[in-house]
Amino acid sequence: MGIALNTLLMIVVAIAIPGVINRTRATLAGRKGLPFTQHLRNVGLLLRKGSVYSTTTTALFRIAPAVYLGAAIVAMLFMPVADLYPLISFEGDMICFAYTLALARVAIILAAMDTGSSFEGMGAAREALYGALIEPALMIGFATLAMFCGYTSFADIFAHEQSFNLHLTIVMFLIAYLFITIAFVESGRVPVDDPRTHLELTMIHEVMCLDYSGVDMGMIHIAGWLKTACFSMIAANAIAATCCFHWWFAVPLAILLTGLSIGIVESTQARNKLVRNTTFIVTISALAALIFFIGFLLQADINI
Amino acid sequence: MFYLTLLLVLSLLVGAIFAAPLRGKVWVAFTAVAIAAITVAVPSIGVLAGTQTIIVAHDIPSILGAGMLSIDPLTAVFLLVIAIAGVATMLYSRGYIASYLNKKSPAHISLHYTALATLILSMMLVVMADGGFLFLFAWELMTIASFILILFDAERAEVLRAALAYLIMMHVGFIFLVAGFVGLESATGLTSFAAMADCFGNGGNFAIFILFLLGFGMKAGLFPMHVWLPEAHPAAPSHVSAIMSGVMIKTGVYGVLRIVSQMSVPEQIHTAGVVILAAGVVTSLWGVMLAAMQNDVKRLLAYSSIENIGVIFIGLGIALLAQAAGNTMVVTLSMCGALLHTINHSFFKSLLFFGAGNLYSQMHTTLLDRFGGAAKHMPVTAILFLLATMAICALPPLNGFVGEFLIYLGMLGSVRDGINTLYAAGGIMALALTGGVVVLAFTKLYSTVFLGSPRHHHVAESEEVDSLRIAAMAIPALGIIAIGLFPQYAIWAVERVANVLTNGHSVMVNAGIVTTLSRLSLTAILLVIVIALLYTIKHRAQRRRTISEGPTWGCGFTSPNIRMQYTGESFSEGLQSIATSLTQNTVEGRAVGKSEIFPSSHNYNVRHKDKIDRLLAEWWVELLRIINKRMMNLRTGRINNYILFALLFLIAIVVLSLFNLI
Repeated sequence: MGIALNTLLMIVVAIAIPGVINRTRATLAGRKGLPFTQHLRNVGLLLRKGSVYSTTTTALFRIAPAVYLGAAIVAMLFMPVADLYPLISFEGDMICFAYTLALARVAIILAAMDTGSSFEGMGAAREALYGALIEPALMIGFATLAMFCGYTSFADIFAHEQSFNLHLTIVMFLIAYLFITIAFVESGRVPVDDPRTHLELTMIHEVMCLDYSGVDMGMIHIAGWLKTACFSMIAANAIAATCCFHWWFAVPLAILLTGLSIGIVESTQARNKLVRNTTFIVTISALAALIFFIGFLLQADINI
Repeated sequence: MFYLTLLLVLSLLVGAIFAAPLRGKVWVAFTAVAIAAITVAVPSIGVLAGTQTIIVAHDIPSILGAGMLSIDPLTAVFLLVIAIAGVATMLYSRGYIASYLNKKSPAHISLHYTALATLILSMMLVVMADGGFLFLFAWELMTIASFILILFDAERAEVLRAALAYLIMMHVGFIFLVAGFVGLESATGLTSFAAMADCFGNGGNFAIFILFLLGFGMKAGLFPMHVWLPEAHPAAPSHVSAIMSGVMIKTGVYGVLRIVSQMSVPEQIHTAGVVILAAGVVTSLWGVMLAAMQNDVKRLLAYSSIENIGVIFIGLGIALLAQAAGNTMVVTLSMCGALLHTINHSFFKSLLFFGAGNLYSQMHTTLLDRFGGAAKHMPVTAILFLLATMAICALPPLNGFVGEFLIYLGMLGSVRDGINTLYAAGGIMALALTGGVVVLAFTKLYSTVFLGSPRHHHVAESEEVDSLRIAAMAIPALGIIAIGLFPQYAIWAVERVANVLTNGHSVMVNAGIVTTLSRLSLTAILLVIVIALLYTIKHRAQRRRTISEGPTWGCGFTSPNIRMQYTGESFSEGLQSIATSLTQNTVEGRAVGKSEIFPSSHNYNVRHKDKIDRLLAEWWVELLRIINKRMMNLRTGRINNYILFALLFLIAIVVLSLFNLI
């Protein structure tokens, strides 16, 4: 029962975040904006459409969306919603989570390269580089969680409610910040990438799916939501662990935390110049190392 | 007696191969290797299943006491790896050599097969020898055999150069090993590996460990001794690269494992762990960065081997650190991870090199940017290569992930338990970055070679290779899938070794690992099912829709052509811009300038050379040249000067002996 609810709530979070982002953006820009469920209608439309495939492509191009979505679904099944229990959980499942998402990335990169288009190659190359540079941040973030909570699986880390202490609170908030930043990069949002850009030369994620249409495109969109939901849930769990560790608290938190922050950043900030992206992402990794170190010092009870 | 038998076997082998008809030579060598493989595989499995150490031959006379051949769990694992890779390589070699049969003389072909069989047999000897002369003998035999194998295409100047560089570097490593054994002998009076327990027993003699590490590191390709790998692999025939990269460099890992397993003093194990971890971190990062920048298929694969050796050493280093601290769970995890990664790497790397061999035999090049769209012409190769690519990227549900998973788990366990936290965190950062860049390197490799449109007419004219080669490739491919989907059964092969290496520390925690791995196995299977299900659903849904085909969307550009595809060079351009300091770039020709509105024909060729290569090759050559030049000043050609030198020499002798200096 708990597991079913957990999965269901993850799906709710995944569906709600893009809606919140769109509403936030519209409100801040003073527009009437899209309805909350517009993204669902768009994807529904895509799923009912036919497809056009490039003659350059091989079977890999047609399988890749299934791999992308499949990996995202399995990654989602690792994620606990606060006090609920996820479907898959074992020691070290955080590593499996990271590498399942890597599988998704490899699938979409290879599919983009399969079209032989220079634009898609551009996107694929950028995605590969940014993915490589964000990886240390992700893993060291997990290491910080493992160090502080004493477990190496998401369910155990978050399920064992910690008694309130200041050190834990500090580290958990930093972790939440880290994972929201990672969510920005992984889901291709401003300031790293702009999903609304209209120039292929400056796109990253969107340009990789230029040749996809219909069902494939729909699957890619859904996978993107799920990925964002996973990172958002980690952040929400981290915060919830410090104050109110219940699913009814973590779910709205996850939706609002990521939805609002992405919406606000996208309305107020311009995207980075592409050359600055590398610096931006390496900074996140450095920040992650710093958070780990802070955690290490706090853990050792060293007065700073 | 032993040497006589060995000599007899080898000369029989040589005689049979040379006497056999041209097309039959491969089968003679194959039979020899297959018999040897079965002979060692059966007792190896027995040893891993729980019987005692098997002594194959003892009282082998040698300098400094009798030698012995035996199979213990560590040997057994490596023997299995050698046996499987050896059989696959022999099987593959037939198709690869077939095109050379009418180009090279029969003696040349015979020599090649003799050396190939000798290499495989000598590797088996290396892992069975108990140290001392016997070990060095087998080690040298292995070096010579692989040297001959690299020389197969000796007509090409770069092959000759690479082979010589290999020979020289291997002998530098050999000197370190000899020095190590001499040190061991002077410390304990014995030269067997078992004697090392005494040698390290009181926590001293760390220099001997360093000597062995240098000697074995040379073979394994530890930074900065890795420079022979990217030279030797492109030069050697592909199946030779496969066995060298997949298995031979692992004998270096084997050697290091042998040495560290004899240590018993925690402080010393700790120091050794730090050294090995540091070496692993640097090696993996350096290897992967350089791999991502290469534009030659086999050179890229060679650098990736260096990276994987680094990963193995990270696991080993963490295991040693944990052993010193008495953290048994972490010891088991990371030791099993390192060993499993050794096995895994032998599978996917030989498969990758076989794939590179297929490409080379069809398109006669290994330059990345000459390929493109090969998947359409060589579909089976493409699928197998994709499998190996995904395995080397450590993606679930394949075997590469299992090994790295265990290593990560070991490191996370260290961090969790608060033991060696900072070392483990360093390892995690390094391994994560490595993992990320590997993805970049191998998506670059795969997509430039197999995807997109052909950049060269050779690709369009190529076709799938013979089925024997495919069969040979299927052997490692099966291993990749089997270990990936059912890691809980693969672990039994290495857990006993981990147990022995850590002096029985790990036996009580194995059940936990097996549970974790069975969950992992279920997840892997679930992943496969979900993907298959999604694809089926999509496929069914699309049957009722209009599906059309057309050219790739050119973003409004109406006449895109093949030359506009992203090349391997452009794919890794972003990484190059941040990692320029690692390489020495040589540029031929000129790129199209930004201000050229109507560009004319350009020729632009860039190569990224390893700075270490330059460092190692250049400064001492330059030094020698300078010293030589100075010395030449002494050669005046005048007889009176020479008499003066002789006089000075005599005076020097007298003076030195007066002061009792000589």
